Amino acid sequence: MANVIVPIGPHHPALKEPVNFRIVADGERIVRLELDLSYNHRGIEKAAEQRDFIRVLPLLERVCGICSHSHSTVFVKGIEEIMELEIPPRARFIRTIIAELERMHSHLLWLGVAAHEVGFNTLFMWTWRDREAVQDTLEEMSGNRVHYGMNEVGGIRRDLTPSEVNAALARLPHLEERIREYAKMVNDQETLLIRFKGVGKLSRDEALAYGAVGPTARASGVDYDIRRDDPYLAYTVVPWNVVTDTSGDVYGRTRVRIGELQESIKIVRHCLENLPEGPIRVNAPKTAPKGEILSRYEAPRGELAHFIRTNGTDKVERVDIRTPTLANWTSVALCLVNQNLADIPVIVAAIDPCLSCTSRITVVNPKDRTTGIVTFDELRKQSHLRASMQERR
Amino acid sequence: MKPLLTLDFVAETMKEWGTAEQVRHNRIRITATPETVRTAIINARELLECDRLITISAVDNGKTLELVYHLTGPHRSVISIAIELPRDKPEVPTMSDILPPAGIYERQIHDLLGIVFPGHPDLKRIMLNEDWPLEEYPLRKDWKKDPGTFYGGIPGERI
Amino acid sequence: MTDPLLTILYILVFPGFVFLLMYSLFFEFLDRRITARMQNRVGPPFFQPCADVVKMLGKEVIDPDGVDRRIFDAAPLVALAAVMTAFLCIPVGGNSIVRFQGDLILVLYLLTIPTIVLFLLGWLSRNVFSAIGGIRAVTQLFIYEVPFFLVMLAPALMAGTWSVSEIAHWQQENAWFLLLQPIGFVVALVCLQAKLERTPFDIPEAETEIVAGPWTELTGRRLALMHLAKDASLVTGSALIAALYLGGPMTPWVILPVWLGWAAGFFLFLVKTLAILLVLSSIKVATGRIRIDQLNAIGWKYITGAALVQIALVLVMNFWQVGI
Repeated sequence: MANVIVPIGPHHPALKEPVNFRIVADGERIVRLELDLSYNHRGIEKAAEQRDFIRVLPLLERVCGICSHSHSTVFVKGIEEIMELEIPPRARFIRTIIAELERMHSHLLWLGVAAHEVGFNTLFMWTWRDREAVQDTLEEMSGNRVHYGMNEVGGIRRDLTPSEVNAALARLPHLEERIREYAKMVNDQETLLIRFKGVGKLSRDEALAYGAVGPTARASGVDYDIRRDDPYLAYTVVPWNVVTDTSGDVYGRTRVRIGELQESIKIVRHCLENLPEGPIRVNAPKTAPKGEILSRYEAPRGELAHFIRTNGTDKVERVDIRTPTLANWTSVALCLVNQNLADIPVIVAAIDPCLSCTSRITVVNPKDRTTGIVTFDELRKQSHLRASMQERR
Repeated sequence: MKPLLTLDFVAETMKEWGTAEQVRHNRIRITATPETVRTAIINARELLECDRLITISAVDNGKTLELVYHLTGPHRSVISIAIELPRDKPEVPTMSDILPPAGIYERQIHDLLGIVFPGHPDLKRIMLNEDWPLEEYPLRKDWKKDPGTFYGGIPGERI
Repeated sequence: MTDPLLTILYILVFPGFVFLLMYSLFFEFLDRRITARMQNRVGPPFFQPCADVVKMLGKEVIDPDGVDRRIFDAAPLVALAAVMTAFLCIPVGGNSIVRFQGDLILVLYLLTIPTIVLFLLGWLSRNVFSAIGGIRAVTQLFIYEVPFFLVMLAPALMAGTWSVSEIAHWQQENAWFLLLQPIGFVVALVCLQAKLERTPFDIPEAETEIVAGPWTELTGRRLALMHLAKDASLVTGSALIAALYLGGPMTPWVILPVWLGWAAGFFLFLVKTLAILLVLSSIKVATGRIRIDQLNAIGWKYITGAALVQIALVLVMNFWQVGI
């Protein structure tokens, strides 16, 4: 067959969020890849400039559903550092617990999605069933399964009662046993092995040169983890290890994520058992002094960086969000060339893309406080209008 | 792991291209100019061992446009190289040949703020959708929506 | 031959078309229920496949721009007709009425028609995903057809006849071919899974890669008929393997009166086909999908190799028996 352009997206069963890959394929081999990321852009960075520190946190949380706590924590951490606030240890521990629970639910979700991409629906059903245990814990603690809303400048908003702590601790042993099962399954299951091994290989030098972050980079042997390199929250007092692997292919990334799952359970258990008593927040000033900070955080997908600049008012002047998925796109484009068409979903899923994080457009009308949902009639009217405008040009 | 870089070492190495200050225990900020920034980054790569680009942040502070390049390396300190660009002609040479991740960040900044990077292989739309009007950079402070035009299919007065 | 009215009843009602359609819907329900329970889900209720077919028959038929509507309408009918005709030659209770020497070859030939129809639909859909899916379907056909034919011919070689009903009958006097040719049985099950395009071999319909492959542009009653053809192939394939390797509807000893023997045989037929369905569903649940180039490697090296070994063993055993 001559070179064929296969459109993957914006609507495609392999994608969880709209993105347009136009793959130029020669039979089953990929020759070139063109990327178009704009489908989920919501203009959040601009909207954040018009909201004060209390109102901007729910907005930033909704950058992404799965790593919502990451975005709000990294922002709040940065603002607290500019204001030179020291938050109480109980707040730090609870933030860590929620962060690691989020990492667990994200990795379990990823494991199911990766299995689904290779057609192994059984693992997909099983991991998502176990993810429900994590979601139940998060719902008990924060009231919501996603977008927990636990952070505020100066600490956290809700406290953990002892019954919640005990319920969470009671769920952990079963989860640990299930994750051990999945680790064994990934090592032994033949079809998973032949679909994951050798696919989407990224060598250590390529990972370094193209700026890959998170489990994608750690699977290639690049030893960067912000929780150890630039520590924050409770990661200095909790014993934990960085998980790396040397294979650099999708199999390596799977092993890194399962390793991180096991580490997260240990961290959560340690924090829940050793939760310090005390207040959960300090009173924060309304405005922040003039300053600039680069706040970094290890989100489930990799290194998240918020560059915040404040100007003495109660709003930020600029928040520049660099999400881990954006950093990983170049390496995806690189390791997709010369691979099979059938492996595209697996390789793309292996970097755990979060396209809502990557593109950041809702239409909000501040005058009458409506959010913009463009109705079908409006679309039709506009299309007629645009057609007539184009004719006039 | 190597120890963090000290302010004196960085100030000494980079003194031809900018002034350094320590803004945080592991972050050193160097203020450079658009002409010297490319050589500064090349030398940061070699002399300071900063081979990873974390991100390129772009800010519009009302008067000028600022770009900050954040680099890091095995020593785990962050070197931020900051430059200021005039609003009417914001141009700075591209870094995508020396630091490959810069390609995607520069595309995003060009889309949203209008800074031009001559030498970039492919500076086309990445964030905004394809029928966004040209020459309109929404992240600039002085961007006003025009009620007559359509931004991605939505009329200006609804934005 | 027997009374023509009886023949027509046999073909149309039982164990012909009506029985086949009802049984294939039941098989689909069982398959989905077993899969769901193994995946820790609940699964659909009993009448779900019937409801699906009825719903699909009532949906709008959408023709993509520029495709040949007549072929799109006729192709699923051809596939369903081929599979239903193949089922007639397989013994369900006692011998099949329409048996003749060589009906094994006819059955095998008719069972390849649905795959060819899928390729045709994929090619004519004017859609990149369907074209790729159609090509994968035919590539897969080439890979598994050779071992499948070989292990279907191995029992025929040993029984010395080309009729499915007589091979089943042969096993009543001697042992089941499952015991005499175990390698062949395993290869037959694997190749049947590939023929039915179920995981790990559902490459042509890989949902996450090429949308739905050649099934993408099928809508409405075309999809209903093709879906029925797929279900009927599952029943026909299982019944074929049950007849060739598990003795079909033959009881271990001859039971009198004749009608009781017939009923017992029918009951045994149901049990055996359900057992094969259980094995096929377990394979489907326990594996992921492999790639077409990996199937190429595995198929030619291991599956065809095993089939050839089986045929060689059968020839040696025949020669040895004849020699003695």
